[in-house]
Amino acid sequence: MSDSKERLRRTMMFVPGNNPAMIKDAGIFGADSIMFDLEDAVSMAEKDAARYLIYEAITTIDYGDAELVVRINGLDTPYYQNDIKAMVKAGIDVIRLPKAETAEMIHELETLVAAAEVEFGREVGSTNLMAAIESAKGVVNANEIAAASPRMIGIALSAEDYTTDMKTHRYPDGQELLYARNVILHAARAAGIAAFDTVFTNMDDEAGFYRETELIHQLGFDGKSLVNPRQVAMVNKVYQPTEKEIRNAQQVIMAIEQARIKGSGVISLNGQMVDRPVVLRAERVMRLAKANNLVDAEGEYIGK
Amino acid sequence: MDTICDLYLSDKHTQHTWQAFLEQRGITNFNAQEVSTIDQTIGLYNADNQLVGTGSIANNIIKFVAVCDRDAETKGARFNQVISELTNRLGAQGIFHQFVFTKPAYIDSFKYVGFQLLGATEQGAILEKGMPNIKDYLAQIPKFPAAKKVAGIVMNANPFTNGHRFLVAEAAKQNDVVYVFVVNADVSLFSTAERLQLVIEGTRDLPNVVVVNGQDYLVSFVSFPAYFIKDNDAIIRYQTELDASIFKQQIAPALGITARYLGSEPLSHTTALYNASLERILAPDIAVKILPRLTNGPQVISASYVRQLIKTGNLSDLDGLIPPTTVTFIHNNLLTLQSRISKGQNINGN
Amino acid sequence: MEIKETAMAGTLESSDIQIMLSAGTNGYEFELESDVAKQFGDQIKATITNVLEAYDIQNAKISVVDKGALDLVIKARALTAVQRALGIVDTPNWEVM
Repeated sequence: MSDSKERLRRTMMFVPGNNPAMIKDAGIFGADSIMFDLEDAVSMAEKDAARYLIYEAITTIDYGDAELVVRINGLDTPYYQNDIKAMVKAGIDVIRLPKAETAEMIHELETLVAAAEVEFGREVGSTNLMAAIESAKGVVNANEIAAASPRMIGIALSAEDYTTDMKTHRYPDGQELLYARNVILHAARAAGIAAFDTVFTNMDDEAGFYRETELIHQLGFDGKSLVNPRQVAMVNKVYQPTEKEIRNAQQVIMAIEQARIKGSGVISLNGQMVDRPVVLRAERVMRLAKANNLVDAEGEYIGK
Repeated sequence: MDTICDLYLSDKHTQHTWQAFLEQRGITNFNAQEVSTIDQTIGLYNADNQLVGTGSIANNIIKFVAVCDRDAETKGARFNQVISELTNRLGAQGIFHQFVFTKPAYIDSFKYVGFQLLGATEQGAILEKGMPNIKDYLAQIPKFPAAKKVAGIVMNANPFTNGHRFLVAEAAKQNDVVYVFVVNADVSLFSTAERLQLVIEGTRDLPNVVVVNGQDYLVSFVSFPAYFIKDNDAIIRYQTELDASIFKQQIAPALGITARYLGSEPLSHTTALYNASLERILAPDIAVKILPRLTNGPQVISASYVRQLIKTGNLSDLDGLIPPTTVTFIHNNLLTLQSRISKGQNINGN
Repeated sequence: MEIKETAMAGTLESSDIQIMLSAGTNGYEFELESDVAKQFGDQIKATITNVLEAYDIQNAKISVVDKGALDLVIKARALTAVQRALGIVDTPNWEVM
C-alpha cells in the first residue's frame, strides 16, 4: 500500500466473499481496487466461512498494485467486530463500512480498528477506512462522514438501498441520483478524499453503462463500483485522458522540474503562476495516461 | 453468475414454474406423498432471471433435483451449486447424514459430490453422504465370523406377536446366528424404542438371536421417495427392490448373512409384492425362506389385529396372539397406547 | 480438544472444497473424493491435518470433497469447519490463523 490518498481509483470491483473461484482470479482484470464483500454477497450462515476465506486470500495471493478493500458487515450485526479483527489482522488496505449515516459510526469503527491494530501488532493508523452512503440520512450527513477521520480515503454512493429509502428505484437516466451524487462528490472533495459512484447491474445494457460512466466522469467522480470484470476496461476507456490533456500535463510537469532545478518556490508556465490544483490535475492526468499505456516509462506520449 | 433463491411452493405461480421445469426434465410424479413432505425448495436463476436448477429437502433427504446446463459456465457447475446449497442447508439444521434418491443415470453425478451408493435397481438408486454412515452402522453390530449359517429377518413388530416369535424361533433352529432388524420409523403405534424392547424381551431365551435397530438402513420402504417414477405399480416395485438391494449390497455381506426369512403374506397385497421383490433381488446369493404364517385357530396371527384389540380394549382376546412379554407391556401401557390412537395414530397398514 | 458436534464448511463448486468433521476415536480418519486425489491427496490431507493439530484436536473423522481448491481455500475451509465443530464461531481463536 503506498500513497493511499492520491492514487487511481477508477474501478472498484466487487468480489463475493465466499466464492473461491472469483477470489482466486480477482487480480487478473486490472481493477484499481478489489473489494471483497462480506456483507450482501454472503448468506448469514456463511459469514464466518467468508471471513476466513478472505483472510487467507489477502495474506496469500499477490494482487499486484490493486488496492484491497473489504466491505464488512454493518455495525448493527453480530459479525461486525470479528470482521474488523480478521481484516486488520490480515493487513487489508481499506475497510469499507456499509450503511454509513453519521460521523459517530466512523469514530466507532476507527476505535475498533485501532484496537485491532494494537492487538495484532499492526502499525496504528495503517488501516484506511471508507464509507458507503446508502440512505437519505447518510447523504444529509455526508460532509461529517467524509471528514470523520484522517483514515478516510473515500465515500461511495450505494444506490440500491438509497433509492429504496427515497421511495423510488433506479431509472436509466439516473435523475433520482442527481442530488446524492453531487452531495457525496462535494463532501469527498471538501474532505480531500475519493468519491465512488454506485454499481450498474444490467450487464446487457452496454450503452447505458457508458452513459452513466460518462456522466459520473463529467461530474468529477474518481471512479465507479463494478460487479462484472468486463466493466473494468469500459470504465478505463471513459477515464482515458485525451492527447491534448496529456500534452498540457507534460508541460506542467516540465515547469515543475524547471522550478526545482532553479530552486524557485514559484512554478510558472506561459507567464502564469501554476497553482496547486493545476499541479495535482497534471499529476493525475499522467497517472491515468500511464495506466492506459498512453505514455512510455519516461512519460513520453506514445498514443494508441 | 447464477444465484440461489428460496422457492415457496405455496405460491401458485412459483409452484407452476417449478413443476413445469421438472416435467421438462422427466420428473413427473407430484403426488401429495412426495410433495407434502418437502421442507425447503431452492431455485437457481441465471443472469436473465430464468430458472436453471432446483432441488428440495425433506427431512434428511434431497429430492426433486434438476438442472438445465444450457449456457452454463461448465457442465455440472449448476448441479454442484444446487447440491452444495442443499447439503449446506441440511448441515445448518444439524443434519449431516444425508440421503438422495435418484434415477440410476445420476448416480455418478452424486458420487462426484461425495455421495456413496447404498443400493441401486433398474429404476432408482439410494446414496448417502456424511456421518455416521453405513460403515459406522455396520461396525457397531456384533459379528460372528465363525458362524457357518447366518440368517436375517427384518420386522416392524408393531407390536411383537407370536407370529414374529415363531419366525425368529424357526430361523434360530435352522441357523447358527439370526439377526433380527427392527425397522426404525416412528410412525407406528409402538415407538421404535418400544418395538425394539419387545423384540429383545420376546427373544431373550434364544441365545443365537441378535436384535438390531435398523437405523437409517432398514426402514419402511414406503418412505422411499419415488418422485421420478410415475406409475403406481412401478413405484412399489422400485421401492421394494431398492430395499432389497440395500440389504443385499450392504447389510448381508458385512454380516455374512446368507438367508433371509419372511412370513408368507396371505393378507397384504403390498407385502406380497415386497416378498416377490426380495426373492427376485436376493436370490440366489441370499436364500429367501418364506415360512407359513402361524395361526391361532383358523386365523393368521397379525399385529394389525392386535392393534385393533388394543383400540377396543378387548385384552382377553389377545391370548395366544402375543408372547407374555408383549402382554405385560400392553397391560402396563394400555391407556398411553389408546390415547395415541384417539389422537389420530393410524393403526391400519403395517 | 474434542469435537463436540459434526460440522461442515465449504461448497461443491469449482475451486472450492467441502470438509465435514465429526468426532472420532482413532486419530484422523480421512475420506477424500477428488479428481486430483492421486497427485494432491496427500497435500490436501496435510493442510487439513495442520489446522486440526493447531487446534490440538487428536481424533476426527474428516470427509472431504475437493473441487480443485487452492491450499489457501483448503486452509480457510478447514479453519471454518473446526471452529464450527468446536462451537467457537463467535469467539474464534485468532492465534491459529
